[in-house]
Amino acid sequence: MGIHKVEPSDAELVRRVRAGDTGAYGALVSRYRNRLGRYAVHMIGDREDAEEALQDSFVRAYRSLARCDDPSRFGAWLYGILVNRCRTTGARAARRRRMFVRDAQALDGAAHADRADRLDWTDAVDRALARLAPDYREAFLLKHVEDLEYEEIAELTGAGVSALKMRVKRAREQLQKYLREAEHV
Amino acid sequence: MILAALLLVTQVAVQDPRLDRLDPDTRSAVAAVVDSARVARLPIEPIIQRALEGATKGAPSTRIVAAVRKLAVDLGTARTALGTSAAEAELEAAVAALRAGATPEVIAHLRDTRRPPLTMALSVLADLVASGVPADSAAAAVLALAPKARDADLVEFRRAVERDIALGAPPGAATSVRLNAGALDIPPGPSSNPGTPTRRSRP
Amino acid sequence: MFEREDETVERVIQHLRRPVAIDPGLDARVMREVAQVPREGRRGRPLWPLLAAAAVVATVLVARPWNRTAASNADTLQFVLVAPQAASVALVGDFNDWDPARSPMQTAHGAGIWATVIRLAPGRYRYAFLVNGVEWRADPNAPAARDDEFGTPSSVITVGGRGS
Repeated sequence: MGIHKVEPSDAELVRRVRAGDTGAYGALVSRYRNRLGRYAVHMIGDREDAEEALQDSFVRAYRSLARCDDPSRFGAWLYGILVNRCRTTGARAARRRRMFVRDAQALDGAAHADRADRLDWTDAVDRALARLAPDYREAFLLKHVEDLEYEEIAELTGAGVSALKMRVKRAREQLQKYLREAEHV
Repeated sequence: MILAALLLVTQVAVQDPRLDRLDPDTRSAVAAVVDSARVARLPIEPIIQRALEGATKGAPSTRIVAAVRKLAVDLGTARTALGTSAAEAELEAAVAALRAGATPEVIAHLRDTRRPPLTMALSVLADLVASGVPADSAAAAVLALAPKARDADLVEFRRAVERDIALGAPPGAATSVRLNAGALDIPPGPSSNPGTPTRRSRP
Repeated sequence: MFEREDETVERVIQHLRRPVAIDPGLDARVMREVAQVPREGRRGRPLWPLLAAAAVVATVLVARPWNRTAASNADTLQFVLVAPQAASVALVGDFNDWDPARSPMQTAHGAGIWATVIRLAPGRYRYAFLVNGVEWRADPNAPAARDDEFGTPSSVITVGGRGS
């Protein structure tokens, strides 16, 4: 009872799953659910779609667990599955998001005397993020929110390191620009 | 230009969406405390967590507001004692230590004798008091250990004291026995090291 | 007068890095789907590896973050409560916005030992267990949180940083 500093490693859990202990996979899901979920939510911009993509990715990873070459890097491998899965969902959610952004821009044009008081910065961030091109948003999130190295992102996305650096740079510039616009209403 | 500056200032007073869990009156009172803390450059996350704790526990509005106000004040006191470079975790631990009865002087003394982060040392002090050790004994023990003990040693010290108390030792005595028994393997320091336990014969 | 660009972007990053609450029911949905997947040699009853580990007193492998960057000096900690009569137990505290939905605890069938594992960055956290959604319990084996301003018991866990 109490608190123990305990952790079966990813490699150990993968080993157990491969040996037939399906329940061990639950520990991996639990371990990665929130962190991967964070990426999916910010990338896709829609909570339900994100959770669906996340659930789907976990199941896909389980099905193809035999193809995880380095179980100690299970997380990175799982990440790659999720990044790819978010790209396909992105197309569906993009339609919904464009509608949202249009509404937001319509609001911006209206005269609201108390808008300055109701300025919700977190909403502005979400809108700005949604306005980024998908590959800019992907690179920005993987680099700055998920803390991956450029080499790792290159592995996951198939893009070159210098192209990725450019995307991140553009993403930063555009976010700054969109947030400035949101202030000057 | 001025309008933009005003908008920027207004933007600072943005509400954390987690506070939506509070009813409107409580929310605005808590938001006011959060804003003051922000202006005073105190950490706001502990204040928000305290409000959320109250919300989850269904506490009355007056209690939630009183709790966050008190916390903001205590964080200020902690910051005065620890200095402006103190990390958020250190400030929170210092608040616990102050509430346990440590004086600001004790906190400042700890700051002067131990390399940061002080989080664990302050926490252990507070936790010892929570186990029943008198505040001055707990402070003396932690200050004695502070210069040389690692965080893990301090945790082990606290556990050892708690075990002794659980076995029936009076808390103050348990603390000095553990300290004097050299229960910890602290390497001897150069020249005068107030942290080295001294052996004393006990009646 | 205006923030420098990198300050704005840094604020955005700090905001986006905050934990996102994913519906904990997702775990069960995944495991239900996983159970349908035909696997050769898969045995019947799933174990709960964390509970087995809890029975082991010695500390097992230290958590190593998979992404290899310096950002994670977090510790992974397991919280355990013995509550044989409970139908549900949630871990609630400063690390999950005191939201009972965030860290529900799991138990093997009939064992009454509830556990969950979370990562904590260095800091001091107040927490408690919420049993059956209504009863607050402190952790019997952790230091008590002295300031129970809300009239219910809480406990404290302190995670050391550098030097621990």
